[in-house]
Amino acid sequence: MTLREVVEELSAEVLHGAEEELNGTVATVAAGDLMSDVLTRATIADLLVTGLSNMQTIRTATVAGIKSIVIVRGKPVSPQMIDLAREEDLVLMVTGMKLFEAAGRLWARGLRTGETRA
Amino acid sequence: MALTAKFVKTQELLFELRVADVMRRDVITVRPDQTMTELRRILRDHRISGTPVAAGDELVGMITIADLIAFLNSDGEEALIGDKMTANPDSLFSDQLLVHAIQQFDATRFGRFPVLDPRSRKLVGILTKGLIIEGMLRAMEQAFQEEEIRQYRASHIFEDMVAEYKEIYLTYELVGRDFDRAGKASTQMKRNLKRLGIRPDIIHRLAVASYEAEMNTVLYAESGVMEFRIAPEEIVMRLRDRGPGIADVEKAKQPGYSGAPEWVREMGFGAGMGIPNIIKCADRIDLQSTVGVGTTLSVRIFTGAGANRAGDEGGGT
Repeated sequence: MTLREVVEELSAEVLHGAEEELNGTVATVAAGDLMSDVLTRATIADLLVTGLSNMQTIRTATVAGIKSIVIVRGKPVSPQMIDLAREEDLVLMVTGMKLFEAAGRLWARGLRTGETRA
Repeated sequence: MALTAKFVKTQELLFELRVADVMRRDVITVRPDQTMTELRRILRDHRISGTPVAAGDELVGMITIADLIAFLNSDGEEALIGDKMTANPDSLFSDQLLVHAIQQFDATRFGRFPVLDPRSRKLVGILTKGLIIEGMLRAMEQAFQEEEIRQYRASHIFEDMVAEYKEIYLTYELVGRDFDRAGKASTQMKRNLKRLGIRPDIIHRLAVASYEAEMNTVLYAESGVMEFRIAPEEIVMRLRDRGPGIADVEKAKQPGYSGAPEWVREMGFGAGMGIPNIIKCADRIDLQSTVGVGTTLSVRIFTGAGANRAGDEGGGT
């Protein structure tokens, strides 16, 4: 699905991301609050869904090669985070939904982890 | 690049381009049953000096401003385009090489050619000298940009340099508890390695190991120095920090072992995955720590032809 459809599905607010970037498609998702778990994935996800809202959220996505982020539970996002997302060319959005609901809705739309279960 | 080399490159482009690459696809056409008066309006409105005559998408002729002038100089009787056009005009095929099209322009001195699909023989475009120049400039600009990107990435730096030993060092200073900057060194290092043209899966492993190590220093230590030594066959990261040290190094290597206080967990870390993650990404690690003094971590990743692919079992200590 496209990032624009993700925005609509999660009733999210886009904090950084140009119109043409929202046309980009996503297929795989990493979800969680523990950044070490995100970093240890064997494959690069297209989208990070997390309840963690600080500078490490953006840095982790950059290091892990993830190009877009959804912050859940309507957590406040600092201006420095938005600046860093701009600098690193990431799409950043926030939704009021809880992690479970946001992840469930994206799963129902066909998004997957992109990793085979051990 | 030497001037002669540039010239050869331009010539090569000319032989790569085909008519379809530079032709205009949204062709303005007229029908044979339209009048010459209508043609006059169409040429003026579109600021063109000639156009194909089509019945449906079948090309039946060409009509130009020269035909219009001849018509205007005659007795003034209205005429149909079909009677004044050049029937069965010369045309080009969309898959023809542009050089051949240019030869045809030279040989005939025509200003434009209709372009047909080689299979269906339907009209698919028009080619003028102006469009050829535009297309050439566009292709040259693109080739130039690609060349610039290639040079900017400095991908061939190790092949280009001649020396007994070839190594690049990147050094970053880390400050404890500075969470706004935490991770900055690792992301900058990652960007630099991309420019050097290091294989993406190797960059990914190094960036993850480096970021976990950087977070450990920022979370627990007072300060640290992170150094990357990039050589043709391997990249070695060494992080020395001044801080509390790790009491039981062997335990710290076990997944899930953590002495992290609650506030570290709130940062998204502290689940005892840091050092195990580093081990997973590395080909070799060495971890030395003295309580009350600090910790030195070395991470080695092989980059030569036989280097592990991502997902391979790395992690020897």
